[in-house]
Amino acid sequence: MSKSYSLTLTIRRFDPDASRRWFQTYTLSTGPILRFVDLFRRINVEQDATLAWTSSCEHAQCGSCSVKVNGRPMLACELLVENAVNLFGTTKFRIEPVTVAPVVRDLVVDWEKAYERVHRAKPYLIEPKELPPGMTEHRISPGKIARYEEATRCINCFCCAEACLSSCRNFIGPNAAMAGIVRMMDIRETQKEERLDLLYSEEGIYRCHTSKACSHVCPKEIDVAHFIALAKEGAF
Amino acid sequence: MKVSEEGQGIGASLLPILEKLPFLSRCAKTRGWHYVIGWLHRLTGIWLVIAMTAHIYNLSPAPTAKMKIPALPIFAFFAWASSLAAGFHALNGGRLILYELFGNRNDAAMVRWTFGLSVAYAAMVGFLMIAKNQSASALFFWLTAFFAGVVTAYAVASRVWKTRHSAPWMLQRISGAFLLIAVPAYLLFLYLNPGVADHARAAVARMQDNVFTGIVFLALAAASLYHAGYGLFSVMADYVASRRARAGLTALILAFIAVLVFFTFRILSI
Ligand code: SF4
Ligand code: SF4
Repeated sequence: MSKSYSLTLTIRRFDPDASRRWFQTYTLSTGPILRFVDLFRRINVEQDATLAWTSSCEHAQCGSCSVKVNGRPMLACELLVENAVNLFGTTKFRIEPVTVAPVVRDLVVDWEKAYERVHRAKPYLIEPKELPPGMTEHRISPGKIARYEEATRCINCFCCAEACLSSCRNFIGPNAAMAGIVRMMDIRETQKEERLDLLYSEEGIYRCHTSKACSHVCPKEIDVAHFIALAKEGAF
Repeated sequence: MKVSEEGQGIGASLLPILEKLPFLSRCAKTRGWHYVIGWLHRLTGIWLVIAMTAHIYNLSPAPTAKMKIPALPIFAFFAWASSLAAGFHALNGGRLILYELFGNRNDAAMVRWTFGLSVAYAAMVGFLMIAKNQSASALFFWLTAFFAGVVTAYAVASRVWKTRHSAPWMLQRISGAFLLIAVPAYLLFLYLNPGVADHARAAVARMQDNVFTGIVFLALAAASLYHAGYGLFSVMADYVASRRARAGLTALILAFIAVLVFFTFRILSI
């Protein structure tokens, strides 16, 4: 017989119409393999239809369900009840919205505001190199790709930015910094100056202090701090 | 998703005693041990700024003897605790330099060494403070320590100098590399004087006996004051978003460092 847990979820609520913030506690009995998004859905159906939260793909690919669970930024769509209990050693969880963007309602934040940082880092090739004559594509050796392939798994969930020691008030953020760094490692990119200007500015890598919280919380297991350290090393 | 990572890497290798402290282990669960160490680096840095301020103030000539910090046991403990903070801050700074500038990514062992050596260093300072019967030639001691500090600083400088980094950031790393040898050496030197273990003034006077050790003292003071000033600026710049508040606080930090420079020159003029 599978285990069952009696959970207490204390969720930070925000009602923008009344400008009211408060914590609300819900108790649920669940099995071990329900995800936190499933818990939120059950709260909506069984206890409180007004609790607002976000998700989209629910397969850890869109990053829209990031929340703080007992202070740790995580994806609610891939956090299983059993794993959460093992990780925190408790069945009591405090759930809060991330702080990297303004809260719209309850656990919903304005992701577009958070994305502004990533847009500034231009997560695309600004000026791609011309194709070699007679070629229809660029050939990149597996060895070169291996140096940065890991970073291309980033889904911009902003868990790293939320966890960052530097607080991300004045820092463009680990994921945005990495987005720029990865494009500089791409041999097809010719426009590096603009990226370097942002990286070596007061809102760039000088706000990173190698606390590696970004790498620790990344749900895609990307060693974000390693990529930022490449820029500190002057690798570009 | 991998959630059992607490049992691996740094979490498993860190001193077990830290894992028993509830607040620290809670932080480590949410952000990782490196995050905890990052905060320890900041807090020890702030502690050292306070300790340096008290030290400079105490060494400089005061208008009245009453204004001096008294030699109470609690201050001896404060001095010893500062050696623990200095050892940790220096060794962890060295670890960060190796990670950021020399590509040393497998630093779990480095973290163990940082904690282990910090404790060993503080124990040695504590022993010297109690024994009070050591003697070392100021010239010979500082020839060795200064040379080691300069070589370390040069190794870092040659690594960062041609990069695009801003001059203040580079100087922070270079001064840090020098201080990582020079500050622990300085604290040792304070207690390596026969029978004067409580008298930093006598140790500093010995450093001014000849031109070379006088220059060492000046270099140590300049590097410490710069490193402290930029360190404070860096912490402030992380958390203060308003431009006006940042400008005001930057001015305040500069004024604070200027006051310390003034007191340092007064020590030199004794
Ligand atoms: S680096 Fe990891 S934690 Fe950061 S945004 Fe990308 S996927 Fe999320
Ligand atoms: S390593 Fe740098 S970017 Fe990552 S959490 Fe620490 S300070 Fe932030």
